[in-house]
Amino acid sequence: MKKLTIFALITFVIFVVGYAQAQEKRDFFKIGVVTSLSGELAFGGSVTKRGYDMWEDAINSAGGIDIGGKKYKVKLVYADDQSTPATAAVGGERLITQEKVDCILGPYASGTTLALAPICEKYKMPHITGSAESPLIWLRKFKYTFGTIPPVNLGPRSAIQTLARDVTPKPQTIAILGIDDAFSKFAAEAEKAEAEKQGIKVVKYEIVPEGSDYTPSVTAIKPLNPDIFAMGNHEKAAIEMIKIAKELKFNPKAYVQHYGMSTPDFRKGLEKDIEYVFGISYWTENMKIQSPGLFKNPKEFANAIRKKFNVEPDYTEAGCAAAGLAFQEALRKVNAPPPLTDAQKDALIDALEKLDIQTFYGRIKFATEGEFYHCNAGLESITLQYQGGKLTEVGPPKTRVAAPKYPTPTWDKR
Amino acid sequence: MELLLQTVIDGLLMGGLIIIIGVGFSLCFGVMHIVDFAVGEWVMLGAYAGYMMVRHFGHDAMFYLPVIFVIFSALGWVIYPVILQVVSGKRFNPAIMGLIFTFGLSITMKGGALTVWGYHIQSVPTWLTGKTLYLGPLTIPGLRVSGFFFGILVTLLLLAFLYKSRYGNVIRATAMDRDTANLLGADVRKVGAFVYSLYAGITAMSGALIGALFSVHSVMGAKYTMLAFFVVVLAGMGYVPGVIPAAIILGLLQSFVSVYIGGRFNLAALFLVMYGVLLITPKGIFRRGW
Repeated sequence: MKKLTIFALITFVIFVVGYAQAQEKRDFFKIGVVTSLSGELAFGGSVTKRGYDMWEDAINSAGGIDIGGKKYKVKLVYADDQSTPATAAVGGERLITQEKVDCILGPYASGTTLALAPICEKYKMPHITGSAESPLIWLRKFKYTFGTIPPVNLGPRSAIQTLARDVTPKPQTIAILGIDDAFSKFAAEAEKAEAEKQGIKVVKYEIVPEGSDYTPSVTAIKPLNPDIFAMGNHEKAAIEMIKIAKELKFNPKAYVQHYGMSTPDFRKGLEKDIEYVFGISYWTENMKIQSPGLFKNPKEFANAIRKKFNVEPDYTEAGCAAAGLAFQEALRKVNAPPPLTDAQKDALIDALEKLDIQTFYGRIKFATEGEFYHCNAGLESITLQYQGGKLTEVGPPKTRVAAPKYPTPTWDKR
Repeated sequence: MELLLQTVIDGLLMGGLIIIIGVGFSLCFGVMHIVDFAVGEWVMLGAYAGYMMVRHFGHDAMFYLPVIFVIFSALGWVIYPVILQVVSGKRFNPAIMGLIFTFGLSITMKGGALTVWGYHIQSVPTWLTGKTLYLGPLTIPGLRVSGFFFGILVTLLLLAFLYKSRYGNVIRATAMDRDTANLLGADVRKVGAFVYSLYAGITAMSGALIGALFSVHSVMGAKYTMLAFFVVVLAGMGYVPGVIPAAIILGLLQSFVSVYIGGRFNLAALFLVMYGVLLITPKGIFRRGW
């Protein structure tokens, strides 16, 4: 009898909880965020969090998302992926099944995004990543996953192009070192492909494990005396590589880094040694863009980030806020109040596919076919260089603020 | 020829860094029979200590190495009774208990560092950064040379202490046979606490050097835990004199594989060597390990 009573009680509780969840009513959009709040990608995770939080703040300050004349506020619910793909998948599943989110903003890194995307497919959950850049994500053609930042294999082109076309004498040789992760090795591959296209001879191309001591790799490259030394990397490798180059007095005429060189940690960790380093971005606050929506121009967004977080804004923050803007506009078009039903989530996917908006971050138009399926691949990358301690746009010509400084003086002469 | 010599120098200097991490770890294992999974986190905390001291009090990071040694030795002394509690008494398989406890300790240290210092990547500033010695066409980074000689010096001092002093004899006796040493009057509890604090102090000092060479962040330790394990397996578990040659072999191996085969095969080569040593001579290359 006692067992029967317990069984009946458990059944009753399950029924009540299930019924309550099925009947969930709320007057705000609940948006899940899976990103790295701990682990070795926590720095990048914090950048994505700032971008997403900035959008949440801005849209809620504007009253919320306008659905049929009524404004609904946005609430972000976070899941820490602990910098590991498996945890990203578990976190995403929790947000979908327990938190009942309407849609998901994605992780910082490509590896974690590749683990989260199949979960979003399984539950038919709209998902936009404001940071992940690996082309592997788009080759999988996930129906429910979108991304605001162009794939990494398009990014480094501008830095190599700037050096090939806009400096004299034209660099003749390049050595490339990539870190073995889903993002960095594609950056290195793209640098290699662009260098070959521009007629620059690749004298060394190597992919090394993350966390290695890069000293022997630099030792192997140094005797080849390349004009350009390019890396596919994140921020930690960016800092360590410049330190090693200085120690070994490795003096290429140009250092090109993909990601990491624009972060505050890079500036703080290397101080005056950041000078002359080249890198790329998809967004800077000096871009001449006007937007009809939230954040009228890049300057306004940059100042909002500075005011709220006391940091210099980066393109990843802009890409993450732009992911929020994409959801916001698509939700407005679907015109469905929260919480979204499965059919409305599918309608949201259609709206995202048809979306074509001008934002402070640039144009957002997701590809609907080809190798960059659902990626906002149309943005052009910008070549940056540290000049006078400040990140300066040095290419392409239409966004150039100053001419690239080339060649980089040797370490002894700095 | 120039590349070959530079590769040898790089390897020797990389080995120098591994010596400092491996020597305390080896001693700790030899005397206490504890495989401390938190070795990399002691490195990380030492690096943060160096960073904080330079930031708050100025001066050069190298100036604070003795201070870091004292602070972390004291911390090791405080933590040791907790470890002893886990690995002593009638507990089932104390070695596994110690491993699990120190694994937990490493997670706590990582999480604590992330909470206190955040996710930013820091650097320990020292005037030695970027200073270079030239030997003909060869480039010898000043900071790495300092690290190398520092590692050798620390190991030689430790060996002199272990083999020439009375208390060193007590430590070695405890390492050989804990129960017999105890019966002969050695306070094995105190010996354990002393060794663990020595290990924590030395390893934390290596952290300050590593932080100056590379970067400082809360998850930097894993790599050094792995290196410490490699060097101890190669040297022979608990055989301190074997640490210097074993670390130099590992440094040279990494350097030669990176330059002549490719950086991507570095870890594979290290694992292969470790596997070979465990297969052929499980007591280390000198057959003197535990």
